[in-house]
Amino acid sequence: MTAALARTLRPRHPWARPSSWILFVLALIGVAVVVLPILIIVLTAFKPTAEVNAFPPSLLPKAWTLDNFAVIFQQLPFARLILNSFVFAGGVTLLALLFDSLAAYALARIDFTGSRLLLVLIIASLMIPFQATLVPLYQLVAGFGWVNSFAALIIPRAADAFGIFFLRQFFLALPRDLDNAARIDGASEFRIFRSVILPNALPALLTLGVFTFVNNWNDLLWPLVFTNDQEMATITSGLTLLTGPSGIVPYGPLMAGALIALTPLAILFVIVQRRFVASIATSGLK
Amino acid sequence: MTTQVGAVRRDYRAPRSLSDPRPLGRGLLRTLTALCFLAPALTILILFVASPMLAALRTSFFSSSGFGPETFVGGANYARIFQDPLLVKAMGNTAIYAALFTPVAVVVALLVALVVADERLPFRGLLRSALFLPFIVSLAVAAFAWGFLLDPQLGLLNYWLRGLGIRLGNVLQDPVLAMPTVVLVAVWKSFGFYMVVFVAGLQDIPRSLYEAARVDGAGALRRFRSVTLPLLNNTLTFVVIFALIAALQAFDQIYVLTQGGPLHATDTVVTEIYQSGFKELDLGIASALSYVLLGATLLLSLIQFALGSRREKDLAS
Amino acid sequence: MKRTVAAALALGVGLAAALTGCAASDAGGSGSGKTTLTFWHGYTADDGKKLNKIIDEFNASQSKVTVKYSVKTWQVIGDSLLPALAAKKAPQIVALPAEQLPVYAGKNAFADLGDYYSSSSAAKSIKPEAVTMEEVGGKKYGVPTGFVPLSVVYNKKMFDAAGITSFPKTWDEWLAAAKKLTVDENGDGTPEQYGLALPDRQTVGNGVWASLFYGNGGAIEKNGKAVLDSAANVETLTYWANAVTKDKISPTGLDGIKSDNLFASGKAAMEVGGPWMVAVAAGNKIDAGMAAIPAGPKAQAASAIGVSMGITSTATAAEKKAAETFFDYFYSKKVAAEWSLGSGWPPLTTNVAESAVSSNPTVATLTALADRARPLLPGVIKSSDVLSAVDDATQRALGGEDPAAALKASQLLVQSALSAK
Repeated sequence: MTAALARTLRPRHPWARPSSWILFVLALIGVAVVVLPILIIVLTAFKPTAEVNAFPPSLLPKAWTLDNFAVIFQQLPFARLILNSFVFAGGVTLLALLFDSLAAYALARIDFTGSRLLLVLIIASLMIPFQATLVPLYQLVAGFGWVNSFAALIIPRAADAFGIFFLRQFFLALPRDLDNAARIDGASEFRIFRSVILPNALPALLTLGVFTFVNNWNDLLWPLVFTNDQEMATITSGLTLLTGPSGIVPYGPLMAGALIALTPLAILFVIVQRRFVASIATSGLK
Repeated sequence: MTTQVGAVRRDYRAPRSLSDPRPLGRGLLRTLTALCFLAPALTILILFVASPMLAALRTSFFSSSGFGPETFVGGANYARIFQDPLLVKAMGNTAIYAALFTPVAVVVALLVALVVADERLPFRGLLRSALFLPFIVSLAVAAFAWGFLLDPQLGLLNYWLRGLGIRLGNVLQDPVLAMPTVVLVAVWKSFGFYMVVFVAGLQDIPRSLYEAARVDGAGALRRFRSVTLPLLNNTLTFVVIFALIAALQAFDQIYVLTQGGPLHATDTVVTEIYQSGFKELDLGIASALSYVLLGATLLLSLIQFALGSRREKDLAS
Repeated sequence: MKRTVAAALALGVGLAAALTGCAASDAGGSGSGKTTLTFWHGYTADDGKKLNKIIDEFNASQSKVTVKYSVKTWQVIGDSLLPALAAKKAPQIVALPAEQLPVYAGKNAFADLGDYYSSSSAAKSIKPEAVTMEEVGGKKYGVPTGFVPLSVVYNKKMFDAAGITSFPKTWDEWLAAAKKLTVDENGDGTPEQYGLALPDRQTVGNGVWASLFYGNGGAIEKNGKAVLDSAANVETLTYWANAVTKDKISPTGLDGIKSDNLFASGKAAMEVGGPWMVAVAAGNKIDAGMAAIPAGPKAQAASAIGVSMGITSTATAAEKKAAETFFDYFYSKKVAAEWSLGSGWPPLTTNVAESAVSSNPTVATLTALADRARPLLPGVIKSSDVLSAVDDATQRALGGEDPAAALKASQLLVQSALSAK
């Protein structure tokens, strides 16, 4: 019934109404303010060194240059860094999505003794700052002989409390009737998880996936502490090696590197954004 | 417990709150099944999160550098924390930071989410992506961009405003303005993620509910109150708690923008944990400070959970 | 969906297996009579390339010791050393900013090198003022890899435009020049060009204010006692705070990096800086010269930026011996000269003649000044607390508070940092 009703109520074309224009202008102003710092990063990547700190400051480069990109390709094993970033951030994201969603299913859909206590404990584990547990964690990882390997980077993060909590909240919001029907049909819990919950939680999974991927891709201290060789560095940690004496940072090359590091993330988000919209369209009809 | 939106009530059951997981059945089998689902994640969490946490808890009762010999000191580290004026100041700053950041970030993200989730908005996918950009920039790079804008001598914003006769001054080095400025940058950096979470939550709300409410003659504000908010409650609780935890652990944004200055005005608990652990090699104090922070965070989160459940009841009535 | 989950599972398991395999490559060790050492250092620029080349040449020059270098920024070394020490996986040799050595030495992270200093002839040639930075509680825990006095970099074009032909020699001349170089074209009270970029905290090598205090016969601490609020220091801080707040020769609220930016952007005519600033300025199309910090009323002195390397106490006797072999090579006459020219810092040993480094004018200038350089807070374990207290005082005074009161407040903090064990 809803589909037919929705079609009649929805405006035929988004541009048809004046309110959509007001919304659009409002959104555009907000976007301009938010994007200005990003624009600075992008444009600085194309500025010659002498212009980066020049006064008066200028948003646009006066003389566009690709020198900054040349510098980072000369000084850093860039292809290797990008590959490492993909293996690290991608590995963590895949494993964490899998393990977190399994755990979240148990916490949201299966009633068992101690589930509430377990949830509180899991959330509480988010409340200790990373700086406080880094030393014992490193001892542990080093004890396994993992330092300077992808195992050190990925395995300790293969599940995380944030993701479990996040997915649990979304699984809770899914209608019960779906899995009850499957349960009456004799489906196992794992089957319900796989064929009922996961497909319906796609927006949440995609959101968490983007979050996990971005955070690990941009993480600085983690790869810096757990790896020692340049060959194991990620793009974010590798860029610190551009730092000059006494903390002087060559901003042009750094922004060029940042721009390259940013691009895959932006593309990822745009793709995920599309899936988002698609999954909504279907959930509206179910 | 269910929301009161007329006929739709039969089709849709409102999500349960944390305090009310509905039993599906009983028995050992259920617990075993749950354990199977939990096993991979729990293995990782126990090994790499819980055990280092317990190690830190132990260290908080010792005088320890992390590598040399250790001496048991009982609660001396905890006592010292509350006697050190700089640490007490850092705790106060952390409270101020969290009190500023959490509501601003959540409200901004929710408002923006309502706009960009609105079906009438053209190019909303593109706009969402643009608003998400700050979240995917690494903080060190973002700090440069903000410095480029805000620098009192070389900054773009000051240069532009000077033309209008306005002088912004050195906001990041002003004892009063430094903290709000850091909060502003932090909100800029993170609201995009909260926005996406809200958008995902909003999209889980069946459209039929809005239409039913509209048929019942509910205005936009009323629809927000009686449909959006109740059904977004789980998401809201999650975002508030997560923003709070992030705010209480503020470190990176401060480290790159002010290094705790001017005159410790932006020193937080975690900058002090870092300082005492990694600069002074006093891991005992760093660990004790972390557990004080954990205690405070836990308390505030439980209050938030309670508020979340109450909000749900209020909204449902 | 079914296939996606299965694929993800397979990928996850496969990945985990592959990763565990990777970890095996971290072995190293000392089989077959050859000792392999790991060396962390933070020389990231051309100086780092030079140092790595020296290490490669050392490895090729003999067959007993192999040194593997790992380049991290100084900041990252500070963040990674503690976990590595705790896990007993620390590198055998670590270089770090000299003022950070005492806190590690105080916790027994580094080996006492007393016997190395007394037995090695190469060690005996290291300049004594550089060796003072390695002393903690009467023992030596490291060897220097860098020791350079802070000096003043200046914008030659601006000096020409202001008609200043010779670099000032005294504080009064310096201040006069700075005033002359401060230009407020539109008369709105905010200069468009500053004579000097004088930071009030986190100064380069933390040494700008220490240098100024020395110039008037003051200091931060003497033999473990805080002397920050001495009459001499009050005079110094008043003199420079007035120059900033009344004469506006420098903007307020600068840190070291900001003042570098200001100089590099051509908004400031001078700054106290390290030797690399000349090259940084050149990259910004600014022709910069370098000169000694002008003499104060009592002395001509400068705080030194120092870098030390130590042998971690977890190194075995054989590894320590091997590391000392590398040190001997590093301080040999030829390598010491090579490192000086490559790093742009003065030679560390007395056996390098000034003529050997005259090919680099910056190094030559700095070498002539090197004997006036004083190490920053040698042997002070809580140096980071002391420096943060000094920063507090200078920030307050340049922010308009009474310098005497600011120094008095920080004096207490410095003293408690010095007395803490």
